[in-house]
Amino acid sequence: MNRKVYLFALLLILAAAASISAKVVHGGHTVSSEYSRHLWRINMTMNITGKGSRAKVRLTLPRDNARQTIYNEHFENDEMVFYVRERPDTNRIGFWRSELLDGRKTLQYTFSAQLKSLMYDIPKDAHLSVEPFKTYPVDFHRWLEPSEFIQSKDVIIRRHLKKAIGREKNTAAVIRKLFDFVRGQVRYRSEKGSKDAKETLKKLTADCGGQARLFCALSRAAGIPSRLAGGIILTGGTKNTTHVWVENYVAGKWIPFDVVNDHYASIPNHYLELYRGDYYLFKYVGLSKFEYFFFIDVENMPPVDNRWSLYALPIHFQAFAKVLLLIPMGALVVAFCRSVIGIPTYGTFGPILLALAFQEISLQMGIFFLSVVVLTGWVLRKILDHLKILVIPRMAIILTMVVIAVLAMMVVGSYFGAKNIFYISLFPMIIITWIIERFSVTQSEDGTLAAFQTSLGTIAVAAAVYYVIRMHAVRIYLFAFPEILLIIMALLLVLGRYTGIRVMELWRFRELNRLKGKTSL
Amino acid sequence: MICLNPKKKFGLLGMNHRNGWYTLIRNPRRLYPLVDDKLKTKECLESHQLPSPELYFSINHNFELKFLREIKFLKEFVIKPARGAEGRGILVLVDKVGTQWKKASGELLSMDDIEYHVSNILAGLYSLGGLDDQAFIEYRVRSHVAFRAVAFQGVPDIRVILYRGVPLMCMLRLPTKESDGKANLHQGAVGAGLNMLEGITMGGVHHSLLIDRHPDTQVPIAGLKVPFWESMLETAAKTYEVFKMGYIGIDFVIDQILGPLILELNARPGLSIQLANREGLLPRLRAVDAYGAGVEELSWERRLEISREMLHKTSSFKKETKA
Repeated sequence: MNRKVYLFALLLILAAAASISAKVVHGGHTVSSEYSRHLWRINMTMNITGKGSRAKVRLTLPRDNARQTIYNEHFENDEMVFYVRERPDTNRIGFWRSELLDGRKTLQYTFSAQLKSLMYDIPKDAHLSVEPFKTYPVDFHRWLEPSEFIQSKDVIIRRHLKKAIGREKNTAAVIRKLFDFVRGQVRYRSEKGSKDAKETLKKLTADCGGQARLFCALSRAAGIPSRLAGGIILTGGTKNTTHVWVENYVAGKWIPFDVVNDHYASIPNHYLELYRGDYYLFKYVGLSKFEYFFFIDVENMPPVDNRWSLYALPIHFQAFAKVLLLIPMGALVVAFCRSVIGIPTYGTFGPILLALAFQEISLQMGIFFLSVVVLTGWVLRKILDHLKILVIPRMAIILTMVVIAVLAMMVVGSYFGAKNIFYISLFPMIIITWIIERFSVTQSEDGTLAAFQTSLGTIAVAAAVYYVIRMHAVRIYLFAFPEILLIIMALLLVLGRYTGIRVMELWRFRELNRLKGKTSL
Repeated sequence: MICLNPKKKFGLLGMNHRNGWYTLIRNPRRLYPLVDDKLKTKECLESHQLPSPELYFSINHNFELKFLREIKFLKEFVIKPARGAEGRGILVLVDKVGTQWKKASGELLSMDDIEYHVSNILAGLYSLGGLDDQAFIEYRVRSHVAFRAVAFQGVPDIRVILYRGVPLMCMLRLPTKESDGKANLHQGAVGAGLNMLEGITMGGVHHSLLIDRHPDTQVPIAGLKVPFWESMLETAAKTYEVFKMGYIGIDFVIDQILGPLILELNARPGLSIQLANREGLLPRLRAVDAYGAGVEELSWERRLEISREMLHKTSSFKKETKA
């Protein structure tokens, strides 16, 4: 019997190991010949303070493109409403909303990025178009027309364009001349709030934004579709500066140019693109304070480029998948606690559900609510026992009272200004309320003492599950390699044939030790 | 100091080991309903001429509650849920006082109280999975005089663990004030280990503490001779031929008039019996297994012999004979 079980467990582990190693070796873009790739883990933290009104924050989110792959995205929404807007030809934008925002919130967006450096050759035979609006299709017109800060039709811009390029018609030569013109004329100075193209030309000092706008305006004036691109230059550590560069459309390709850091027709592997166009990374309304930081670190795990992997799911389904994956992990912890330690719990699923609830509202809040619910149920049960009510209606009455107690807590909390009580979502409340049924059943089956013991056991095991599933590594690896579930199953199989003494049984049969002297077995 | 490997040292059988090796393997799934439902057990026992307390009538549905009025002709009886576990939901009424009945503890119950109790049983309050249940009313067993000194407001019973048809280990379970007249160790009853050769009690256990005296009466527990000992072991061995479960606990009561009666069977007998006997189950289980396959097929006489041989082989009895 045991041989068969161990063999089966071994098979499961081997299958999982094979699948995981196949993914690591052959999965993903990582096996391609690209040598200068970089993996980064970026965390954007926004500390926002509301002013007691409706608030909205928008953040442009990075997209996959020829040289960057975004994976393992994770959002911490701090109970704000969150959604992602993805449309094909605009930036990808995350929105956080709250109908009433009072006090401080922390929003976090964490993701991994795999970046490549790219070098472009500008074809030598390309020439400037005489009538660019006819040459390029309609959706390129917005990259040719002047915009608010890129005044490409302005007389001064046009005059400087003439001065810079003369009669040159070759596109490559024109871009080189414009690039050298901006680099030669404009001095870099870090400043608050970027200048527009005209202002840059007038003052001849600007930060990356001003220089990029000037280069962009000159390019557009010359009839080359040109746009800004914004992002972060990744270096380990904490920063809150962003960077802006330019992309020009030449011979069917968008080619990057960074005037400030002198990257001509190339982009290094630590440039993360967050948005395209003359755009802001953040926008917000209804806030009295807004702070942001980027925490940048190195990521070790490459993305898994497999249409059958969980990364292929839409991002909000990824969140579901992440929670689902935690359930077997929790079940393993529960099985261990029950079979090896011997802690009584309300079923297998009970502690897992509680741990998931604790995860949404904090552990302390969860235990506090749970205590209130259990105590209400217990007191009520004592009262109802005198009235001799049938089992099911009695349970329903207890449930109703628990709901009343929870509502009362909310009203009282609101009266005393504890607003955070409202951020508890429905799901954890239902789980916690459900515990009362299990408590009640155990109470009538095994007595009040056993019911309290089992409740305590359930909370303890739920806390253990909570700490395990909160581990970052557990989440990341389970999601990247769901094969780990097979390993969990293998462990459970082995656990299922564990016939040793439970830790609690050592306590239960402790008195046997008194006999040590009497019988020498 | 807590011994870290009681399995090796005392041959202690743990919960995991019992479930994984004994109940899961030896007890066929399809027989569980027969054992878990006391009404079915009773019918089965009666049809095989095995002694059990007489069934008066059963109440299977809520609308049958009106039949409960029949109890007004009864002076003493027991109400039990068919699928209650660990002695839950058992109501013992020992006397009739006017229109009320007296519980073993002396508490008086009216017809309404009893009806409420029965409807709770029917709603599944005491059943294993909370499923709808049946209630039945049966003969109240009167404790044998031999136990008068130690029994406190209730009927002591004798738990026999039968492994592959061989009586393996026994204990006498004594109700206490705490257990409310019930003989379940969980609920605070006292378990007393039994010398299986003689049917004489040894020390006791109360809530996993070893004791020598009954907690309520302070009477010494050891040295009590259980009457009808041999015939009880015989009945136990015969029971295997009806219920082919390899690892089972049989609960006997000894009635003043009717002698040993099988009260119920338990397919997952508890492990505290090891504390009561101050001995682990594993050596005995292994001794029985040493007889090889086919122990089940032997006649009950031969299985009783095996039981005695096994007792002589296992350690504690060896030591006694040495001393």
